Amino acid sequence: MSLGTSVDSAETLVGETSTTREYASGGLVVLSFLAFAVGLLGLFQYLPVDTSVAGLPVATLLGGSLTLVGAGTVALGVGSYTGALDSEPSHTGGLVSAGFLGLIWFVVGGLVGAQTLGLSTAWPVVALLTGLAGTGVALLAREDLGVTVSAGSFVLLSGVVVLSGLVGPGWSWDPESFSIVLTGLVGVPVIALFAGLVGAWTAARVYGGFGAQGRQTGAYVLVGTNAAGMLALLAAVVGFIVVRGFAPMTEGIRYGLFWGPVTWFNPPLLDSWVIVEGPIVWFYWPFVMEGYGLNTPIDGILPAIVGTVWLVVGAVAFAVPLGVGAAVFLTEYAEQGRFTFLVEISTNGLWSTPSIVYGLFGLAFLVPRLGNTPSLLSGQLVLGFMLLPLVVITSRESLKSVPDEYRDASAALGVSRWETIKSVVLPAAMPGVVTGVILGVGRIAGETAPILLVTTSSPFPSEVTNVIQGGFRFTGSFPFVAVPTVDLVQTSSALPYQLFAVIGAGLGENLDFAWGTALVLLLVVLCLYAVGIASRLYFRRKLNA
Amino acid sequence: MSVATRFEGLDTRSRVVGGVGSVLLALTVLSFVLAPGLTGSLALAFAAFVAVSVLVDEEHTVGFLLFVTTTSTVVILAFITVYLLVNAVPVVREMGLYLLYGSDPFWDTSANVYSLVPMVWGTVVTTLIATLVAAPLGVAGAVFISEIAPDWAREIVKPAVEMLAGIPSIVYGFIGFTIINQFMQQELSLPTFGSLFVTGFVVGIMALPTVVSVAEDAIASVPDPMRDGAQALGATDWQTTTSVTLPAAFSGISAAVLLGVGRAVGETMAATVILGNVTKLPDPLVDVFGNTITLTSLIASQYGNASGLHFSALFAAGVFLFVTVMALSVGSQLIERRMRRTLGGDA
Repeated sequence: MSLGTSVDSAETLVGETSTTREYASGGLVVLSFLAFAVGLLGLFQYLPVDTSVAGLPVATLLGGSLTLVGAGTVALGVGSYTGALDSEPSHTGGLVSAGFLGLIWFVVGGLVGAQTLGLSTAWPVVALLTGLAGTGVALLAREDLGVTVSAGSFVLLSGVVVLSGLVGPGWSWDPESFSIVLTGLVGVPVIALFAGLVGAWTAARVYGGFGAQGRQTGAYVLVGTNAAGMLALLAAVVGFIVVRGFAPMTEGIRYGLFWGPVTWFNPPLLDSWVIVEGPIVWFYWPFVMEGYGLNTPIDGILPAIVGTVWLVVGAVAFAVPLGVGAAVFLTEYAEQGRFTFLVEISTNGLWSTPSIVYGLFGLAFLVPRLGNTPSLLSGQLVLGFMLLPLVVITSRESLKSVPDEYRDASAALGVSRWETIKSVVLPAAMPGVVTGVILGVGRIAGETAPILLVTTSSPFPSEVTNVIQGGFRFTGSFPFVAVPTVDLVQTSSALPYQLFAVIGAGLGENLDFAWGTALVLLLVVLCLYAVGIASRLYFRRKLNA
Repeated sequence: MSVATRFEGLDTRSRVVGGVGSVLLALTVLSFVLAPGLTGSLALAFAAFVAVSVLVDEEHTVGFLLFVTTTSTVVILAFITVYLLVNAVPVVREMGLYLLYGSDPFWDTSANVYSLVPMVWGTVVTTLIATLVAAPLGVAGAVFISEIAPDWAREIVKPAVEMLAGIPSIVYGFIGFTIINQFMQQELSLPTFGSLFVTGFVVGIMALPTVVSVAEDAIASVPDPMRDGAQALGATDWQTTTSVTLPAAFSGISAAVLLGVGRAVGETMAATVILGNVTKLPDPLVDVFGNTITLTSLIASQYGNASGLHFSALFAAGVFLFVTVMALSVGSQLIERRMRRTLGGDA
């Protein structure tokens, strides 16, 4: 029993567990979010508002729930004002909330004035009046009455408008200076989305019992919705592309296990071949193993994949030594001064330079000097220029986070500066540098604009760009060995460019091909990002542990 | 300390290494600019010098090499600036201020008339819409991650935002092209394919992660004792956020928004793919659902068949972009610098 008493006393200290106010307003928050969710589904026409659910049109359901939320919040506010519900309101709704509500009412007044009443010149007056009223009520009345009346009646109005069919499935509005026609199929969901959010915010404020606590609850509901929205956005983009692109990407995959010849050779002094047999795994994935427009039933993007690999390899080979070197110099050698300031400014400037500007620069500077043709080499250099600031910034961060004790300990042993950097500082900073490079590569692998100008030519390549020509082989003349030649001055495709090329050529029959390309590109880039982020988390934990 | 006194401070060896190395490297770069045929042999000479020098005196050679790598960003930026400007000169000389306040016809390649008015208007409108999307949502996201979220939620949302930053712009463009554009035509009876509104919205979504992560850094750099002080006075978490943390981080947050605006201004592929790229102003001007072109999509959609003055006009668009974005970047850096100074320390 002593346990029970201690819980009881704790509850009285904090307040009642759940009051009528909390139950009622909590229910309204849930209802508002339901309206919000149905509004989203309706907007994207997954659940058009003219369909019926459980015998009632969706529009009516939305209107009804908004009406309920609006009326409910106003009732709760009045209840709190009269003292029937216990709460801790401040004397005013607060300037920010009042301004926000005023803005909403300004828009409502403007729309009603211009469209419903048909005032051609006087609508700003109506808008201003309603806006002032909305602000005034929220600002001047005590918080519990002001906020709920101002916001609640907006939700109520939206609900009634939808419920009564004033803005219903059959409604349409052709705004004068805009080239769109708004129909009820879009209008009702938009109203539901907006009024749902306002309703949730107001009801959450009631839930928190007004005052500082109420404001916090209200704000947290909005900020939390925003964060959830970002997660949903990521899930939607990735999910959508996976759903649409998976089938075209995996079409025609075949694999099997065979017993067959693994290798064969001709032993000396024997006039026959020795054939070694063994199990062979056979795997064929046409979409990533074939070119476009060959005699294969499925068009593939191998040339684009190989092109992207070459571009990334070249960019990394160019940017990483330069970037890490610069970061080492800035953290270990240079003193803070005009020179480091200049370098910082230009590094950040390069970071924010638009990718198309890099492309223009490559077109004007690199292309004429490197064979006067779009080429892989130009693309590698331009992407290297883009990668450079990312490498400098992230490497510098990770070099800075190496504790000075490491350097001091090394210096105390009489080790020179460069030896210290080489054997102590750089190894300690390596994880951060590698992570930064991976994330940077993820970014440049998806860049289209620069390579569009300096690397690509054929929109649907069937052949892989043959960079390494001839193999390592023995020859008859001096020096008796020939090394393969590496020819980077040729055009090539790349994954993001491939996607752009399909769009440019008209999607039509290539739509599936485009979704498949988008999925491969997304997988490549997001895998790089996932590896980069995960390794950073891993090393950070290890460092903190 | 002037350059001369610094030079005096160096010992003979670094003078030799630095002197010879710099001359060789400068010759290499110069030859690439003027006579690309010579670059190979000069680069080889530089490499040979460095190789010998490392064997003789590793410490000084490495110091010199690191210094050289550090100048690379400055040199690249300088080259970009010079080449953009040089290539833009012909059209500026020909068209003069007509570039900035021309009238219809704005852009006629057959008559060699070029004015950037529709492109600037398109960029301004899309950037405005993008900022309206990215700034409030981005700052709210940053507040969520650094102030509100419990640990488990932070560990989901933060990587998710970074992943969002990783989605290539052409993928966003593709989605805008196939899905949102179609939606606008079907559900909103938009007569043309593509609109400024959709472009601005998509670009705003793309700028969102930049705003979130930079603003989050700014908010996280507000020293904890400031928050503790507010809480000790009995403020709620939200009161602390709005009246202490956000005002203290205000300049950092505005830097984040500026960087986001910079991203939106420079976004190319989404605009190229989603917009109709017509070189006219929308009619009426305020029609955000109208179709026009942005500075970035102008370059991406017309570079292929451009030559002469037309080519130069594209560089004028590039200069306009470059200057705008550079101003935003430098502005946000100055703001951040000020914030770091006022908050003290480099936390």
